[in-house]
Amino acid sequence: MIKINLKFFIFVALCCLFFSACVKDTDFDQADDIVLSPVVELDLIYFNLRASDFVDTVTGNPRLTVTDTTEIEFLDGSFLQENLARAEFYFKFTNSIPRSFEVDFQFLSEANDTTYTTQTVVNEGSVSSPVITEFIENVEGEQILQLTSADKVVVSVTVPSSTVNVSGELNLKSKTTYFLEY
Amino acid sequence: MKILFTCILSLLGAVAICQNKQILYGFDEIPQSLMLNPGGKVSQRAHFGIPLLSQIHLNIGSSGVTVFDIFGESSVDINTRIRDKIFEMKNTDFFTATQQLEIFNLGWRAKNGIYFSGGIYQEFDFISYFPRDLAILGWEGNRDYLGYEFDLGELNTTGDLLTVYHFGANKQLTDKLTAGIRVKLYSSMFNFKSVDNQGTFVTTLGDENSENIYEHTITNADVTLQTSGYASLRDDENDVNIASEMLGRAFFGGNFGLGLDIGATYDINEKWTASASILDFGTIFHSNDVETYRAYGSYTLDGIELIFPPLSAGENTFPYYNNLEEEIEREIPIDTLNTGYTQMRPVKFYASLGYGFGKSRGDACDCFHNKSDDHQQTVGIQYFSIIRPKGPQMAGTLFYHRKFGDFLSAKATYTVDSYSYSNIGLGVTGSIGKFGMYLAADNLLKYGNLAKANSVSLQVGFNIIIDE
Repeated sequence: MIKINLKFFIFVALCCLFFSACVKDTDFDQADDIVLSPVVELDLIYFNLRASDFVDTVTGNPRLTVTDTTEIEFLDGSFLQENLARAEFYFKFTNSIPRSFEVDFQFLSEANDTTYTTQTVVNEGSVSSPVITEFIENVEGEQILQLTSADKVVVSVTVPSSTVNVSGELNLKSKTTYFLEY
Repeated sequence: MKILFTCILSLLGAVAICQNKQILYGFDEIPQSLMLNPGGKVSQRAHFGIPLLSQIHLNIGSSGVTVFDIFGESSVDINTRIRDKIFEMKNTDFFTATQQLEIFNLGWRAKNGIYFSGGIYQEFDFISYFPRDLAILGWEGNRDYLGYEFDLGELNTTGDLLTVYHFGANKQLTDKLTAGIRVKLYSSMFNFKSVDNQGTFVTTLGDENSENIYEHTITNADVTLQTSGYASLRDDENDVNIASEMLGRAFFGGNFGLGLDIGATYDINEKWTASASILDFGTIFHSNDVETYRAYGSYTLDGIELIFPPLSAGENTFPYYNNLEEEIEREIPIDTLNTGYTQMRPVKFYASLGYGFGKSRGDACDCFHNKSDDHQQTVGIQYFSIIRPKGPQMAGTLFYHRKFGDFLSAKATYTVDSYSYSNIGLGVTGSIGKFGMYLAADNLLKYGNLAKANSVSLQVGFNIIIDE
């Protein structure tokens, strides 16, 4: 009889233990508050334009505007469209050409519609003392949608007057800081 | 992404450490203890596990973090807590989950004294080490880590879903020695394995001579993911098809392997008993439905260089972006291979030393039952280790085993392992007539609030036991 009682007691004790097991003082609704907010630094474009690039090699006439285009296919991907909170472009021009330049960045969609533009002026420099011009473009809020509708960027560099017989280089380095939230 | 992250965090609560079944080991009144030591002492004449109910085992663990750490009520923002944990945890911390379900298990003593046992069980086993650097990169990005080399080699995970067919023999060889052996045939339904990875990723600030502001460099990357049983399911979005396919593989359909368990128990004298076993010493050969993905190489990304070529009207410039993509694919190719691979099972090792005292029968039969297994109580120590990708995980246990008459036995354990220093476990088995049941659970101190537990392990089962 004692054995039965002991058995009964231990079973009940163990069962109580199992059924009393619980998860408390926790709030799983907090999962909704989890936000990953990494900040990603990524190189963008770079170039080296010589003064002679602003002269047509065949005719000798000045080319006041040179243009090039590159696709940046990741920009209009669904990941950036949904998770990009802010983007900060940083352009660093080093100019040793004794001319100032106007540089236009025109973002185009797949259908070649312009979705976002920005421009800056690069100060003139000289071969002996190149001048650095920095330009920061901050994109946030509703502009994000415009920016992330684009999948290519057209870069146009315009010199106001002829560059025949001048020397020097215009160098660009650039990067983008992507502030993500997801 | 956020959903995935939440799921992973939730898993911490649902799942726990190694496959240690410290309570069941040496608990001879439970027939399933033969699965942990084929050379254990068998007191019954035959046993028959209730199909699907003879052993249900669940074990979930994480060595560095508990659910409470993340989801506990606190004035600190949950994102701050996650960030703190990511930095606090080490790349040797890990998450594991093991689940076993016995489909059937039976045993009987033949006329020559050998106790034969056999059966089928299904097992799921998963381990992932914490890829700390990648977690930092994902959580923080690279802005504040210029010059820091993120280690891609921290990626280390394996997962298995398999059915095991086993048959074993156990015999008391001498008055003191009982030994046993068990042969296992593994039928793997699904396996993935990504270990021995290497490589680094670093973003460095360029100098005046650099092409661009930064250099993003991957050095000596070699990352491999081996899968078996995945390729044929990949394109099948119909859950019913996948379920029936998996069920088919559970019985001879997938990849096969062979393994061995051996063990012995030795009565040193009337008081002292030692035992040891090696389990799952075996290999699975993956040759069907195998796909291995391997990415390797080195590459430095500078961004896109514009050339400004003179163009006529309507003429297109260079496809810079496509060229860049092709260059990356050339320098860090991702190969898909179909070569088979072998996979060692996680070998487990148990050992124990026990000291018995007290008599379970205080009556006149004593003179015929002067063997050590008649002790009413036993105290002792146990050792457990399991071979994992980054080396063995070990656990030490103190135990106290007590019989309450012929019908009830209990075993209490205190275990120290990678998860904690405060793991108390309790197992109890009772029988009513020929019907026996057992229940074992550890981390009992944490049952008041499972959220604070690093690991949870539970075994429950029902058997029909026919005594000698």
